[in-house]
Amino acid sequence: MKNDNNMKIFVLDEEIYSKEAIALAAYVYADKAEIEYKRKKGKIEIKFESDESSDESIADDFVNEILNQQCRIDLTKKNSRVSTIIVTKALLSAAGEHTVRG
Amino acid sequence: MPVKEKKVKNKTKAVSAYGAVADSRWRKVSGKYLLINDFGNFEYLKSPDFDKWLKSKLPKKSKVFESLAEKGFIRTHMDFDKLTEKWRSANSYLFAGTGLHIFVMTLRCNHTCVYCQSSAIDSSKKNTDMSYRTAKASVDFAFKSPNPTITIEFQGGEPLLNWDVLKKTVTYARSVEKKTKKNLIIALVSNFSLMTEKKAKFLLENEVSICTSLDGPKNIHDKNRTYGKMSSYAVTVKWLKYFKREHDRQKNENYRIFKPSALLTVSKRSLAFGEKIVNEYVARGLEDIFIRPLAPLGYAKKYWDSIGYSADDFISFYRKTLHHIVKLNAKKVIREKMAMMILDKVLNAHDPGYLDMRCPCGASIGQIAYNHNGDLYTCDEGRMVGWSGDEIFKAGNVFKDSYSSLMSSPVTKGCVLSSNLEQQPLCFRCAYKPYCGVCPVYNYEVQQNLWGNMPSNDRCKLFMGIFDTIFELLAKPKEAAILRKWVQK
Repeated sequence: MKNDNNMKIFVLDEEIYSKEAIALAAYVYADKAEIEYKRKKGKIEIKFESDESSDESIADDFVNEILNQQCRIDLTKKNSRVSTIIVTKALLSAAGEHTVRG
Repeated sequence: MPVKEKKVKNKTKAVSAYGAVADSRWRKVSGKYLLINDFGNFEYLKSPDFDKWLKSKLPKKSKVFESLAEKGFIRTHMDFDKLTEKWRSANSYLFAGTGLHIFVMTLRCNHTCVYCQSSAIDSSKKNTDMSYRTAKASVDFAFKSPNPTITIEFQGGEPLLNWDVLKKTVTYARSVEKKTKKNLIIALVSNFSLMTEKKAKFLLENEVSICTSLDGPKNIHDKNRTYGKMSSYAVTVKWLKYFKREHDRQKNENYRIFKPSALLTVSKRSLAFGEKIVNEYVARGLEDIFIRPLAPLGYAKKYWDSIGYSADDFISFYRKTLHHIVKLNAKKVIREKMAMMILDKVLNAHDPGYLDMRCPCGASIGQIAYNHNGDLYTCDEGRMVGWSGDEIFKAGNVFKDSYSSLMSSPVTKGCVLSSNLEQQPLCFRCAYKPYCGVCPVYNYEVQQNLWGNMPSNDRCKLFMGIFDTIFELLAKPKEAAILRKWVQK
């Protein structure tokens, strides 16, 4: 991570972090900071600019949020089928419907 | 039917003829490995056995192997019929509709409790009373649920401040019960300050189960629950005695009288008095005590610094108090409800109806909170967030929405999706997943989003500590025998 006054620059490995995870984290932080990201030789460079210049933790929290989003994306790939079945069953049963409409 | 073991020609593979371990999670508890799988089965393994199990080197004729195989921990020895039956039993709520319907009869209250989660308002302001028209519509709405058992819980504020409407609603609900042939359970949560013999008689005749708040001995209770210049404790104890006496007598054959129960809210000042609080419950003839953690919601959130505590503080309190309760069981019956609900899941594969500990949570699909004006919330905690000005958990209104539209509302779907543990990275890998649940309202209030972030979530830490405490006790034969008795069917 590089510091430049209010701006911080993170460089993340594309093999570990997907563009989707970064976009989702940026969306979560849209009201707290200005965020730009671009690809650069197998890496993703993120420019993070916040008004809260003295507060380092917001930038750290943002990086944690990327990790959080990536974990969720990975888990969804693994579990989406069983997860959908459970949620659908719970909602249909609660509504008094016992079969999935075709 | 058990899966037949495959014959493996290759010598190296033959060593692990019973295959790799079946999908399960583990955690170190009391120096042993505690294995738990999605079917809700558990097993304690000593370190050498755990290593052998991981390497598929446990002797097949050993007791450990047989026990693990029976519980679904050996991939090639899974009796799927038996295991899925157990899973279905533990998750039976997925096959039923909303059971709990909380009616907020008024926001008024004559107590000013230090932690008041219902964010009650002054007892003179009647504009927050539920009208009979709204109450009647709420009963009709509740009976639209496909669940064969409907529980209506009257609470507030202090529900007895709106007695006339409450009384008419009980009578109406009983008439709907007869018409629909559903099973109706009615419960009242009251501070008893406005209870009279006439009201009590009506409640008993209509089989209303009675619950009050008891925070411990007089000095602790009255400090937590201020009732003007009067003693809230004195009123509580007087009526607890009355309802217990009526229960013990069961003098009328036409109706059942339920044993009264009490709720304990643990505030910061309770933490030093665990044993005294339990002893007070015993002295009052109560057989159950529910050690409930305070949540930073509504009013409690505003004053968290003075009344709240950390997850570690609560775990330490819970552990000490539960040990005291277990000790007392040598002489008398006193059970802890949080432990009982968890044990019911762990030992009986039964859902005890603890809606915050389900996957998905009970938001709308397990409970609905009916506000005094007919607004519908996913749960009572969601209503409290609404009271503080954020209506994110408001899912509808009894006059404007149908039951099915409530179930398909974005609010309901959002809570159901976000509380699905299969989508929670840490929960998915947690040993306690089959018994636990997350709370989107807590996550939203504390971590600003419905999903939350479990590694830094205090509620997660707190429940992890409660589970550890219970599984530590279950690993000790003498203590385990007491705990098993609490939930014996």
